[in-house]
Amino acid sequence: MLDRVAGQLERYMDLLSSRQKLVASNIANADTPGYHTEDIDFQAELQNAIAGPPHAVEVDGLAMKNDGNNVSLDRESRLLSENALRFNVASNLLRTQIQSIRAAIKEGQSS
Amino acid sequence: MSLFSALSVGASGMAAQRARAELLVENLANAETTRTPGGGPYRRKDVVFESSPVEAPFSSVFDAQVNGPSGVAVSDVITDSSDPERRYMPGHPDADPEGYVAFPHINPAEDMVDLMGSARSYEANVAAIGAVKDMIQRSIDLFR
Repeated sequence: MLDRVAGQLERYMDLLSSRQKLVASNIANADTPGYHTEDIDFQAELQNAIAGPPHAVEVDGLAMKNDGNNVSLDRESRLLSENALRFNVASNLLRTQIQSIRAAIKEGQSS
Repeated sequence: MSLFSALSVGASGMAAQRARAELLVENLANAETTRTPGGGPYRRKDVVFESSPVEAPFSSVFDAQVNGPSGVAVSDVITDSSDPERRYMPGHPDADPEGYVAFPHINPAEDMVDLMGSARSYEANVAAIGAVKDMIQRSIDLFR
C-alpha cells in the first residue's frame, strides 16, 4: 500500500539531496583553481535497482576558465532551484500518502 | 543525513569568501602604505583556495566517504613579491637618497573587481544554504 510508491519517492528524494549536496559543493568551489564541476547521472541512478550510494561524475561540455575551473554559476543556480522544487513536489506527494494512511487509522479508532 | 553536510559545504564557501574579502579590503586600505613592521612598503596579499572535505557535525565515517562532495578552504595566503612602485617624492620622509619612495604595487580597480566577485560568490553560497534549508524543512514537514 505505502511501500511501492513511497519507496520510489524515498529513492528520488535521496538522489535529489545527493545532487543538491554536489551543487552546493560546486558553488562553494566556484573560485577554486583546477576544480571540475561534479554531478550525478540522475536518470541512470534512478533506474538503478540497487540503491547504493550514487556516483559523482565530472560534467563535460562546460567552458573551462584560465585557472582550470569549469564551474558555471548559471548552471548551478538553475540546478539548485530545480532540485528544491522537485524535492518539494516529492515531499508533498509523500505527505498525501502518509495522510491517507493516517486517515484510515483514525477512522478505525473512532468506530 | 547528507543534506546537513551540504549546509557545511555552503558555510565553508561563505567562510572562504569572507577571508578573501578581508584580504582585499586590507589591500585597498593599504594601497598607499609605505611603512610596515617588517620594513618597506605594504605588499599585496591574496588567498589560494583549495577544495577540502567538510566536517559535518555528527556525520559518520560512512557519510564522509560517500563520493565526498567537498567544501572549500583557504590553503595559503600569498604575498606579492614583485618590486614596489617607485615614485619621485623628494620631500617624503620615506624617500631614499635619490628622492624615490617605494609604494605598494596595488591596483585599486583590480581589487575592487575581485571584491565584487567575492561578494557575489558569498551570495551564491547563501542561496545554496537557503535551498538546502528549505529541503530539510520539507522533510520535517512530512511528520506534520
